[in-house]
Amino acid sequence: MMASSKVAVFTIVFGVAYAVLYVICTEINLPLVTYHPAIGEVDVLWAPARRGPAMYWYGWMLTSLIGALALAWLASIVSEQWVQRAIFFGCVAAVGYLIFYTVALFIYDKATVELEFLKSRLLAVAAALLAAAGISFFAPTRWQQRLWQGWVWLVPVGALVVLAYYLTPFFTR
Amino acid sequence: MTFWTTLLIIHGLLAVALLGAITHQAVAVWLPVRAKAGSFVTRFRAVPSTSYVTAIIVLYLVTFVMGAWIYTQYRFTSRLALEQLQFFKTVGVFEMKEHVATIGLIVLPAYWAFWQQPLSEDYSGGRKSVTLLLAIMVWANFLIGHITNNARGFGS
Repeated sequence: MMASSKVAVFTIVFGVAYAVLYVICTEINLPLVTYHPAIGEVDVLWAPARRGPAMYWYGWMLTSLIGALALAWLASIVSEQWVQRAIFFGCVAAVGYLIFYTVALFIYDKATVELEFLKSRLLAVAAALLAAAGISFFAPTRWQQRLWQGWVWLVPVGALVVLAYYLTPFFTR
Repeated sequence: MTFWTTLLIIHGLLAVALLGAITHQAVAVWLPVRAKAGSFVTRFRAVPSTSYVTAIIVLYLVTFVMGAWIYTQYRFTSRLALEQLQFFKTVGVFEMKEHVATIGLIVLPAYWAFWQQPLSEDYSGGRKSVTLLLAIMVWANFLIGHITNNARGFGS
């Protein structure tokens, strides 16, 4: 279950990085181009809709493509150990953020006093980073030796779960 | 309109071919046949899975590009109608289709790397999991495409 060739490292990191960047691009709307299908025109970066809807999907894909290619190239020139450590740390931090923020919001909802600070995303991010650093430090060495191939399906599946969550308004109207 | 309808039919036919190829490969790699093939199901599992790799990559790319092209027409015709009819769930699942298609596309380089000849035993786990993931995504998108087309597809 281990990867070592440069091609494998490049393609695994490309898939992982693209999935993460794509989620970020859709969440904060970072398209490289905006397409206006009704008039067949393209704008560079984000642009508001004019005479019909605007399409950002192509732009999100292009933004993510540039970032993913750069990260995949970087991964193919650094040590495989560091790539594995970085992805492991990132994944633990992402899961940690999800847990901390959910718990914080749950406590905020149930608390009988006003605990406004619990709504801060920064607090959840800081807690997640600390937890990820601790877990990465104490993780068995053999987990951090070589790049795990499973990242290439685990991270995209995680990205799809997040993207599906963003779409819940369509199903709750 | 005939042009877009023709494009949609070709897109659908390519998707059927892709669905067949990836399903064959996923079944063959997850449930390989050890003995001589006999029944239809056993023969289905007995296909040489490596021979499908290039076909699957090409079919995925072509189907994706055609879908992305048709999407421009969908965005300001069918989708507006679906929103006016308050078919929000249909619009939502179609939004999911665009994300699933993108994620499938970005997994293709790793899929190609894992299936490089001669097959490396090191990548057997990655090969199996990525093939299964691709198969699930292709099936999901095929079904979502059908649902959307039934709600507001060609001829409506």
